[in-house]
Amino acid sequence: MRAVVVGAGFAGSLVAKVLGDNGFRVLVLEAGAEPNEDAVSRFRTALVKSPLKPYRRTAAAPSSDYLINTGPYAYSSPYLRMNGGTGTAWTGITPRMRPDDFHAADVGRGRNWPWGYDVLEPYYRAAEWEIGIAADADEQRQHLPVADGYRYPMHALPRTYLDHAVASVVDGALVDGHELLVVGTPQARNGIPVPGYRLDGQRCAGFASCVPICPENAKYTPHRTQKQWSATVELRTRCVVNRVHADESGRVTKVSYQRYEDDTSGRHTRHSEEADVVVLAAHAIENAKLLLMSRLANSSDQVGRNLMDHPALLTWALMPQAVGPFRGPGSTTGIEAFRGGPDRARRAPFRIEIGNWGWGWAAGSPDSDTAEFVAAGLRGQALREAVGDRVSRQFALQFEIEQEADPENRVTLAADLDPLGNPRPSIHYGLSDYVKDGLLAAKRASDGIFELLGADDHTSYKPDEERYFEHDGEPLRYWGAGHSGGTHVMGTSPRDSVVDQWQRCWDHPNLYAVGCGSMPSLGTSNPSLTMAALALRTAEHLVSRAR
Amino acid sequence: MDAFVELSAELTGFSAEELTSTGLVEQYRALADGASEAEIIQLWYTGVWRGVIPTERAYAEGLAWKAIGVSPPGSAAPGFGSWEQRPRRSAR
Ligand SMILES: Cc1cc2nc3c(=O)[nH]c(=O)nc-3n(C[C@H](O)[C@H](O)[C@H](O)COP(=O)(O)OP(=O)(O)OC[C@H]3O[C@@H](n4cnc5c(N)ncnc54)[C@H](O)[C@@H]3O)c2cc1C
Ligand code: SF4
Repeated sequence: MRAVVVGAGFAGSLVAKVLGDNGFRVLVLEAGAEPNEDAVSRFRTALVKSPLKPYRRTAAAPSSDYLINTGPYAYSSPYLRMNGGTGTAWTGITPRMRPDDFHAADVGRGRNWPWGYDVLEPYYRAAEWEIGIAADADEQRQHLPVADGYRYPMHALPRTYLDHAVASVVDGALVDGHELLVVGTPQARNGIPVPGYRLDGQRCAGFASCVPICPENAKYTPHRTQKQWSATVELRTRCVVNRVHADESGRVTKVSYQRYEDDTSGRHTRHSEEADVVVLAAHAIENAKLLLMSRLANSSDQVGRNLMDHPALLTWALMPQAVGPFRGPGSTTGIEAFRGGPDRARRAPFRIEIGNWGWGWAAGSPDSDTAEFVAAGLRGQALREAVGDRVSRQFALQFEIEQEADPENRVTLAADLDPLGNPRPSIHYGLSDYVKDGLLAAKRASDGIFELLGADDHTSYKPDEERYFEHDGEPLRYWGAGHSGGTHVMGTSPRDSVVDQWQRCWDHPNLYAVGCGSMPSLGTSNPSLTMAALALRTAEHLVSRAR
Repeated sequence: MDAFVELSAELTGFSAEELTSTGLVEQYRALADGASEAEIIQLWYTGVWRGVIPTERAYAEGLAWKAIGVSPPGSAAPGFGSWEQRPRRSAR
């Protein structure tokens, strides 16, 4: 069997590995160039340390900054087109979805999955071992069904000092009728392995820069999986797939792609490649774009629709005591109490991350604090003490709000072209009242938690800031979490979904679209572990069909 | 003691020895010729000179981080699990 995988990112690297291990000849076509060697040094000298900053970019395969926003709200989640994809820059937080997340439509919000948690559970386990996840099964069982006797491949990472400080106050307390409990967050970051698991890379040493670079290679990236590819997997970088071709019966026959050498121009040559099966793994937005450009798989008119993210709310405060932020991973625990339950029918549920990198993301600390104190006239020892005292006590809460699948939130093809002459993705994005009610409830929960902690709340959202809005008279703001999904949605009928339960396009028996784009709901979990579980399930299906 | 180091110490609250140990005095002296107080402080505290971080060292030696008692993200590895310990406050 000859398979072409489009995209050597998170999902594509996993699928290629399984296919290669099972006798397929696999060609992986990757739009981006090889990663640059100097990413760590670029990170250090970048003024704004945003996720894509350190990485190599090419004119021919632009990353998310070439999106065109046309809707009422800005879609601000980035993605990276470089070998390894966004999975190079990600944070590495890997919770599973919860059983009720698979049945969002049962409470009248968004869409249901074709099946429930139980079907995916064995693939969650497989994905956790494939990626290398540090977590404690008993701890996870406090809020999630995890199979009896199961062990994660690595023990849970040590909690931060901040986590202990928060847990010692809030565990068992009530906020808005929810009992709080600080729970360890599964992490794709090397810790102490259990017997039978071999570490790949170093143990997390606390560089505190996991987004976007881990100098220690302690965080999982798709490059790890690529190193394990069998000899039957061939990677071609700098190859932008721009069309998938199908014959009259709907069978896919080949893909066309544009190959470039130069990082700075759109100069390219044209090629094509025949295949028995084609797997699109180009990221949710690019998968949709490619299907739309190819005029395939869209008999349901759902391609590009149902675009989701986790609109994130950040709140930030000072603890009464020094907690030592900016040491170790960005978040090692969370509060899971607001993720389900009957409230879900009224307002979007959310997961709370306890943020260990001060006000870095929220307010640009410590540079912003320094500037503030200098402007206020502080100098010398007084300045040093003010910065030390302020920043040492900083922490943040990061709320990930579920966003339901809404066909009006969508990717289409813009009239504007990129340097290769391909349409730029146009994004029409909005937030429903359900999401806004969730953001507001998150803010209330934050108020309650800060009060319990005796924390000094410094959160403020100002009308001149990006992504500011008001809801029920309250100022709010949202941030993009990077969790694009829904754009080639999975379902039980070709009438209203793009792919079936195997991520196979209903309209084309040998065309698959993998990634978060297939997910009918994202729940409140960072989505990549679920995406990886789905990818492994699809790869297994492809292998069994070929036998 | 030279005038630039003396002025820098007075503005930043870090001693001449602390400033010298960053290895940045010569580079910053050259850059900061004619700079305002606020610019000199920003350079020492954050490594930013007029919108640019000139070198990796400028970032890694930022005094704001030393005031907190931690290394800037991506510049040093304090070791597995170090984040669980009580923070050490800035050495004064
Ligand atoms: C800052 C940030 C932090 C994140 N943190 C987390 C987290 O903690 N936990 C979590 O679960 N998720 C996280 N995510 C989300 C996660 O990164 C994505 O869910 C995941 O990378 C998606 O995988 P993918 O394979 O679909 O896409 P990608 O990883 O982006 O890979 C797609 C690949 O396809 C290539 N490609 C694109 N177009 C073409 C084309 N036309 N032809 C050929 N190749 C093409 C791209 O170059 C890329 O290599 C984060 C995202 C961001 C931005
Ligand atoms: S804390 Fe540091 S070593 Fe650990 S994963 Fe993040 S960047 Fe890598």
